[in-house]
Amino acid sequence: MPSLDPRITRAEPELWSLPERPLHPLEHWPTYEVFVLRTRGSHAQHVGSLHAPDPDMALVLAKEQYARRSQCVAVWVVPTEAIRWTPTEDEDLFQPATDKSYREPQGYLHTRERLEKYRDRLKPLPS
Amino acid sequence: MIEALETLLLSLADDDLCMGHRHAEWIGLGPILEEDIAFASIAQDETGHAQAYYQILTDLGLRTPDEYGFHRAPAEYRCAHLVELPNFEYDYGFALMRHFLYDAAEQVKLQALRNSRYDPLAGLAERLLREEKYHWLHAQTWIHRLGRSTEEAHTRLKNALQMTWPYAWMLFEPLPYEAEMVEAGWTPPMAELRTRWLELIAPILQEVDLFPPAPSEEELSSLAGARSGRRSPYFEDLYREFTEVSASEPGAEW
Amino acid sequence: MYGNLTVRPEDVENWGKKVDQENPEKLAEFEARIERGEKIEPHDWMPFEYRRQLIRLIEQHAHSEIIGALPEGTWITRAPNFRRKLALMAKVQDEVGHAQLLYSAAETLGKSREQMINDLLSGKSKYSNVFNYPAKTWADTAIIAWLIDAGAIINQTTNAKGSYGPYVRALERICWEESFHLKYGYDSVVYLATGTPKQRALLQDALNRWWRPIMHFFGPPDTASVHTEKLVKWKVKLATNDEMRQQFLDMYVPKIWELGLTIPDPNLRKNPETGKWEYSDPNWEEFWQVINGNGPCNKERLAVRRFAEEKGRWVREALLQPNARYVTPLA
Repeated sequence: MPSLDPRITRAEPELWSLPERPLHPLEHWPTYEVFVLRTRGSHAQHVGSLHAPDPDMALVLAKEQYARRSQCVAVWVVPTEAIRWTPTEDEDLFQPATDKSYREPQGYLHTRERLEKYRDRLKPLPS
Repeated sequence: MIEALETLLLSLADDDLCMGHRHAEWIGLGPILEEDIAFASIAQDETGHAQAYYQILTDLGLRTPDEYGFHRAPAEYRCAHLVELPNFEYDYGFALMRHFLYDAAEQVKLQALRNSRYDPLAGLAERLLREEKYHWLHAQTWIHRLGRSTEEAHTRLKNALQMTWPYAWMLFEPLPYEAEMVEAGWTPPMAELRTRWLELIAPILQEVDLFPPAPSEEELSSLAGARSGRRSPYFEDLYREFTEVSASEPGAEW
Repeated sequence: MYGNLTVRPEDVENWGKKVDQENPEKLAEFEARIERGEKIEPHDWMPFEYRRQLIRLIEQHAHSEIIGALPEGTWITRAPNFRRKLALMAKVQDEVGHAQLLYSAAETLGKSREQMINDLLSGKSKYSNVFNYPAKTWADTAIIAWLIDAGAIINQTTNAKGSYGPYVRALERICWEESFHLKYGYDSVVYLATGTPKQRALLQDALNRWWRPIMHFFGPPDTASVHTEKLVKWKVKLATNDEMRQQFLDMYVPKIWELGLTIPDPNLRKNPETGKWEYSDPNWEEFWQVINGNGPCNKERLAVRRFAEEKGRWVREALLQPNARYVTPLA
């Protein structure tokens, strides 16, 4: 049946006589990771990746794929191969083995108790 | 005066209407997904800009944007022939070269129109330049990259430029009533805008060894009259296609 | 937009055995993680079958998006007014964008985009059947944008509860964008339903044409599908085909009736006792015919996709840097 798409009808008959040529590796270019800054003052956030031939082109293409609707004030791109990561399998890297409350505000919840307990000591030293 | 104003706005709007349409033919067929998306945005922007120009006329009590866009007789359109050209062989080199020449012209026109003494137009030009900034970045990046890449890419761009060059030149064909418009401070003369346009694109095209000499008078005169309603041979199909549904049921809302 | 993962019998042969032999200790850890509601990320250990099925699922979904851009793309240049033309451009653009996001998610599992596209073009991997039907009139685009996207949203919000991080993240954004598609589709349908007699006839015709593909959309009935306990346990498959079909009918049949449209199935009714929708056999033989390449538009869809890749080849080759190196995206 002939195409119902006028754009496609114009491409016929070439459409039906194209060679079968598989894409070769990297034909769709290497990948970049995309970050956006949603507002001034916020951290840039990773939003996905894309394929581009070079960093400048990656920026041009990232703008429309990752910021065409959402509010944002800047886009960053980084070649994926420039990124080093810790594997999520090693997430125990981030779990402390001993009590680290000494470096958290929550580690200092009993100060007031101490103060109340020894309130009688809170007077100027004899001169 | 209203004829002059309508001519000016329709020349701008109709260019964007048809350019948006031609760019939109690439949606889903682009050379790589990421570029398909970018170019689809540009197509949307151009179409939206056309609507915004028509709206200025609507606000004056003239026709609605849909009436202008979809319900006029062919001879009432005022677009340049560049935007009527079909995407012949779906050569992306052609699409990009036309986009480059066209959006360079938009840069120049809008930069001038933001100082127009016709306030609604000046205000709109200021707003449209925001989106045009991306179009121009996109166009330059591509021409710069492809122009210095493979021999095939260079040849394709060269052929595309050869084909579109006189048409692009005619984006600046003097408008009917132009003297009145210039007198009123609405727009600089088209010839002056063309000079600025050449200044903008020459260094970019020269850098990739593509800057052509001025088209001949014969070439240009064969393309004259677009702004007075002379349509190119390609307009008929274009028009039939974009009015197919809207004309199928007069008076219907969609 | 997407249909559902159709698991073929050959896919599950000997599964349990292979999976258990792979690495029992890691497998227990992996399954416990999913059980706790945690996501699996690209660099985690995962069973071979999990990876394989996810690649297949996400890849099919991505193919469905780029092929799905074609039937509606047909009407961009003919859209009847500014608002519709702009919205349709934005919608088809979104679909290309969804393909982009989904290919990236699948790439994190180790299959390159080029390989996926090659498998699409050779017919080795599938996409949703529904896109192998033609969009004959403007009303078809309205029905597609409303009902096919509605089906896709049901399917995708279900999949968004899945276990694989990159896919879940892509789906979050996709669902958000598709809610615009659905609103746009419904608005277009309402304009036709409340329009002139000719417009209403166009709409009814389109519904008549699309009802069967819509019934096929969620895949064959549960009675005909193979056992997929592993996929359920691994949160790759989160609802059965019939569950999603029932959900769709519950949500949309009343809305279709409200518009004065007739659904072309005299046996369609909700059984008050079971609370389930009953319907005529939507001809599953046709479903399998279309999946196997014999639908009305299969050849054209693939030819157009091949055309686009072929036309874009010189552009991609021109800008490929000689020292480029491929690594899978992090997505």
